[in-house]
Amino acid sequence: MLTRIENWIEQRIGWRAAWEAIFLRKIPKVNWLYTLGSASLFVAINQIVTGILLTLYYVPTPDHAYDTVQFITYELPAGWFIRGLHHYGASAMVILAVLHMLRVIAYGAYKYPREVTWTSGVLLLLVVMGFGFTGYLLPWDQRAFWATIVGTRIAGTPPVVGDFILRVIRGGPELSEVTLARFYGVHVWVLPAVLLLLVGVHMVLVIRNGISAPPERGE
Amino acid sequence: MAEDRSVSRRSFLTVATVAIGGVITAIMGIPAVAYIIGPALKKQSEQEWIPVGRASKVELGVPALFKVKIQRKAGWILNEQELSFYVLTEDGRDFIAMSNICTHLGCRARWVANEGIFFCPCHNGVFAKDGTVLGGPPPRPLDRVEVKVEDDQLFILGG
Repeated sequence: MLTRIENWIEQRIGWRAAWEAIFLRKIPKVNWLYTLGSASLFVAINQIVTGILLTLYYVPTPDHAYDTVQFITYELPAGWFIRGLHHYGASAMVILAVLHMLRVIAYGAYKYPREVTWTSGVLLLLVVMGFGFTGYLLPWDQRAFWATIVGTRIAGTPPVVGDFILRVIRGGPELSEVTLARFYGVHVWVLPAVLLLLVGVHMVLVIRNGISAPPERGE
Repeated sequence: MAEDRSVSRRSFLTVATVAIGGVITAIMGIPAVAYIIGPALKKQSEQEWIPVGRASKVELGVPALFKVKIQRKAGWILNEQELSFYVLTEDGRDFIAMSNICTHLGCRARWVANEGIFFCPCHNGVFAKDGTVLGGPPPRPLDRVEVKVEDDQLFILGG
């Protein structure tokens, strides 16, 4: 019965070829460090799911942002758990992505023919940093506010264009409701769109080019 | 050799992956459902006796309108709401209180003194002064509110 259903679907959408290409592809003999990319992907999925759940209650305006975060954390069932997964997942994301990059550097896996995979990975790390920077403001507490004051001032340090950059990021000279709204928009719309696109490119290339074996002495 | 075993390495790993994936999905999925439906399951806040005014203000045999402000919280915003209701006493000792919300579709019924009735303008519902239906579409009498008097102070049970 199950086989018949599988065959029915297979004849119409041909998923078996995709399944084999993704999960049954041939790989060289590798070690546990090669799981860091998959771990990053797993945490990214966690961030997407918990992030979508948080938007059900979070309101990105100065008069509600802090209250909604308190409501999520202390009044909703499992709200502390959902927010906790997103909060600690964010740190795990940065750590795993950096470790994944270090493994690629140490094994020289960025070389031909994987330069584009590497470049998309570097861009993904920048996207992760963007998520961290914009997400940090959203709880709208003292730590969020002052961390973003400092962060935007750092962005404003380049000569000549610095002040302009700071104003663009803050949406004006001061950190305000405009800043909160645009950080939220970037965090939930702009960066996820870029992330999904880059993850797609990154994974197609990993599958197309295969993964590199650990280099051996004398190579 | 793999052929000698009853469970191959591949099928063991498949089952293990699906099982671990299922556990992770449950760990995230069950709290997620609770989190989404939480506000729908929240019970109404506890009722308490709210002081509304002096009992001696109520004339014998004439429903008197009382209004009282209460605070309600649905999520993270504390809202002020006004409850309004009529209090009636025939002898100055026994009081009844009834909501002025028409039992038909929720408009406000008002006391028409010269006719001695409650009238709801939306669909011409008519109630007697004790709240029983005299005419029009209302399906049941005006809803009663629990009321008590202590030292001339009227209280209603609400929240």
